[in-house]
Amino acid sequence: MSWLRVFAARLRGLVGRSQRERGLDQEIQFHLDLLTEANLRSGMSPEAARYAARRSFGAVEPMKEQYRTHLTFATLLTLAQDLRYALRTLRRSAGYTAAAVTTLAVAIGANTAVLSVVDTALFRQLPYHDPEKLVMLWTESPSDNLREGRTGYWNIEAWRQSQSFAGMAAFDGVSVTLVDAGRAERITAARISSNFLSVLGIRPAAGRMFTTEEAAQRRRVLLVSHAFWQGHFAGSPDAIGTHIEVDGVRSQVIGILPAGFHFPKLDAQIWEPYSLFPDWDDRRAVRGVDTWSVVGRLREDVTIDQAQAEMTALARGLDEHLPSADRGRGITVSPLSRHVVGQGARFALWMLTGAVFCVFLIAVTNVASLALARGISRTREFAIRAALGASLFRLMRQLIVESTLLAVMAGAAGSLLAWLALRLPGSIDPDILGLPVLFGTTALNGKMLGVALVLSLLVGWLVGLAPATVLRRRNLALSSDSGRSIVGSAATQRLRRALVVGQFALAIILLFSAGLFLRSWRQAQDVSTGFRPEGVVTVELHTPLQLPPPQRINFYQQLLQEVSAIPGVEKAGFASDLFISSTREHVLTAESGARSRPERLELRRDEVSADFFTAVGTPLLAGRFFSHADGPDAPPVAIINLALARRLWPSAEAVGRRFKFGLAESDGPWITVVGVVADMRRQGAERAPVPQIFESLAQNPSSGGSLVVRTALDDPIRIVPAIQSAISRIDSLTPVSAADTLDAQLAAFLLPRRFQTSLLAIFSAIALLLAAVGIYGLIQYSVVTRTKEIGLRMAVGAQCAGIFRMILGEGLKLAVTGLTLGIVAAIPIGRASSSLLFGISGSDPLSLLAGVGLLLGVSVLACCLPARRAMSIEPIAALRDQ
Amino acid sequence: MDKTDVLQGTLILLVLRTLDALGPQHGYGIARRIEQISQDVLQLNQGTLYPALLRMEQSGWISSKWGASENNRKARFYSITAAGRKRLIQETGEWKLMASTIERFLDFDPDSLARERE
Repeated sequence: MSWLRVFAARLRGLVGRSQRERGLDQEIQFHLDLLTEANLRSGMSPEAARYAARRSFGAVEPMKEQYRTHLTFATLLTLAQDLRYALRTLRRSAGYTAAAVTTLAVAIGANTAVLSVVDTALFRQLPYHDPEKLVMLWTESPSDNLREGRTGYWNIEAWRQSQSFAGMAAFDGVSVTLVDAGRAERITAARISSNFLSVLGIRPAAGRMFTTEEAAQRRRVLLVSHAFWQGHFAGSPDAIGTHIEVDGVRSQVIGILPAGFHFPKLDAQIWEPYSLFPDWDDRRAVRGVDTWSVVGRLREDVTIDQAQAEMTALARGLDEHLPSADRGRGITVSPLSRHVVGQGARFALWMLTGAVFCVFLIAVTNVASLALARGISRTREFAIRAALGASLFRLMRQLIVESTLLAVMAGAAGSLLAWLALRLPGSIDPDILGLPVLFGTTALNGKMLGVALVLSLLVGWLVGLAPATVLRRRNLALSSDSGRSIVGSAATQRLRRALVVGQFALAIILLFSAGLFLRSWRQAQDVSTGFRPEGVVTVELHTPLQLPPPQRINFYQQLLQEVSAIPGVEKAGFASDLFISSTREHVLTAESGARSRPERLELRRDEVSADFFTAVGTPLLAGRFFSHADGPDAPPVAIINLALARRLWPSAEAVGRRFKFGLAESDGPWITVVGVVADMRRQGAERAPVPQIFESLAQNPSSGGSLVVRTALDDPIRIVPAIQSAISRIDSLTPVSAADTLDAQLAAFLLPRRFQTSLLAIFSAIALLLAAVGIYGLIQYSVVTRTKEIGLRMAVGAQCAGIFRMILGEGLKLAVTGLTLGIVAAIPIGRASSSLLFGISGSDPLSLLAGVGLLLGVSVLACCLPARRAMSIEPIAALRDQ
Repeated sequence: MDKTDVLQGTLILLVLRTLDALGPQHGYGIARRIEQISQDVLQLNQGTLYPALLRMEQSGWISSKWGASENNRKARFYSITAAGRKRLIQETGEWKLMASTIERFLDFDPDSLARERE
């Protein structure tokens, strides 16, 4: 262990360094004195004796140097020296330091923030046991172009024959009324099969899950979420065994779910047996689509592809047992993670990652270019240091230390920026990205902080190497003549030009993409939604519990009268649902001339009051709206939208025709179409309107829905309290939830797009700025180094305008080269992202032109300043000044 | 191994042997003894002794402390440690083995080899 002893000795040496060195000086003096005395004794002259003593002792300084290296950790000490020197250098050129650190910090910050979101959304493990093995199972209906449709109970029973799955659980979410302490409240209930938690590998935090028998007996038992337990039971362990009133029925709390337990797209407060649907017997019999979502766990040794293969074969086998209308359906098996973050959101995230990486590259090239320019101006400094005995290694190390220091500063500032970006309200929020809140908010995670640090170090060294290339090329000769330094910088200038070309290529890609997104956003905003949302508020409400349908009609009538009487209200209407969360497949038989044929249609069915369409501002295209005459005893009537009218009666007038749900021979009533309304985009502006049927609320009163109120107010939300008091006057136990303006609700659909677009726009603005700074710096430098040449040109008769054109041309040539290269890459990128666009093509020429124009404009501006400077050069002064 | 390393290695042996034979010595004393005993055959740049002494001390073969010299001046005295003695024995053995091997090579008579071949 002798190296250990040496190490310890050197560690001690680090402390007693100066003392030991003084000791050495004494030893040397003592030694020299004794040598001199001996020489004197042998008869030398004092002069000769001293000289001889020195000769036999040898060179003192190199020996002391060697002594010092052994005394303690020499490399460490010189490193500290380098660090101090680097700090001094960076402080001296504060402008350069600030520019480089700011540029890199913005780039690193943006990258870290975006990568944190990407990491959370795409790579974090779902919080379940062995989540890789969890899949969603869907019914596929190729004829409706439906790949992932919810399925019927009958199908699930049939699917359970498969050998690929360790378990398969059905679930559905539903809104229920909870009455607690005299207050009614709408909450979300998940209705799940008894194996739901065990399939996920989750245990209740307290209490127990309900059993299969309890589910079969439709026992009123439930588990509550951790948040509900905290909110309603103050976290008391006595909660288990107590009863709560759900939809007017007492249910017993038997378990509490773990804190932080969520299931994607099912943010429920209570979890009940799936048999608790009032229409359980109907639901159980459904064979078609759109009843249940299914989550399954693959067996240990089964891959998702094997499971898909088995299920496809199973679906073919099932066809034999099905009536012809239900045949030809497939089964889709897809990873649960794909259900959490869908294909579109994934793609958008990757695209943002690409964009932010482009910004990063542009920033790096900018700083590298800066560092190159600085490297040239420091050649003299390095040449002097080399002449004084610094080795090339030592000089390189100096550069590396400087750039590491720069990188650490940029990394720290960048991490801070990223942290802010993730923390500030309205900034990067998974909710806005269209991501579920499964993981809570996105935090700056340690992994990504590590990525940021590694990134900044890599960049630091890359940038540090830029001047190092100058070092090598210049052979470190102490050159004072400017002639040589210009020759030396020519190669560097070439490199910097290449960097500027690269920047412009990257910038046009970003600007083009941002243009595409901005245009898509405009298109999505301008699309006609079929509403006139200005001045409209909606209030979600539910009829009082256990109100039988005839009395609901009364309730609605009273409600609409009361609300219409509020001052400021122009029109009040009611719809069982204003926005569509899901559509459902129906078999519809339409009367068409002499014969009627049944059709399977994906459509939406709702009940609306007479004034609903007037309240939301949807124009009537043919026929009439509902009237008070369309009551429960009148013949059943319906209003359909244009999409459905065109589908059912493509060549004829729809008003006056009849249809019925089910087959022609079924005993359902024939319903007469009394009106056709314009298509409403009830799934957000970007989704094409689905076929829609509206029935009269008076004939088919739903248990709840949206009260739609058109007001004359500028700020319609101010009328909400009056509406709420009107509702409580009718029934104090009517649960009212979310009240919002129609404008805000429509805008919410566009939030993910708005977010993506604004991020891209910010990135492009940064890219634009950096590209401008980059080209400005280069041309400015070029003018400075060419002062003499320009002076000479002017002296022999060049015009100012000519000089201006020459400098401007130098810059624009680079910009145009970069743009050309960039466009070649940008067009395929635009095409690839066309699934994220709306209303325009991926090669939209306007976006491209705008991007090119913007970049060219900015580069002209950036080059104008140095060009003007070149024009103002005094030939005499330039030539005199070497 | 370059030249200085060989010299360094030899220097360590010489210093250890000197300290073992003569007891505590200061740097000048060690240098003088080495020159005297080698009858001035081994001439060394006396300054190089000090880095070597430092390394030997760090390795624990010698120890040092300040004391008074013959003419009552302050001087650093070096003395061999137990670990140093062990090292000396080891180094001496290696050196002797090396020296005898080299010697055998040098005493070797090429004619006898030629005769053996015939």
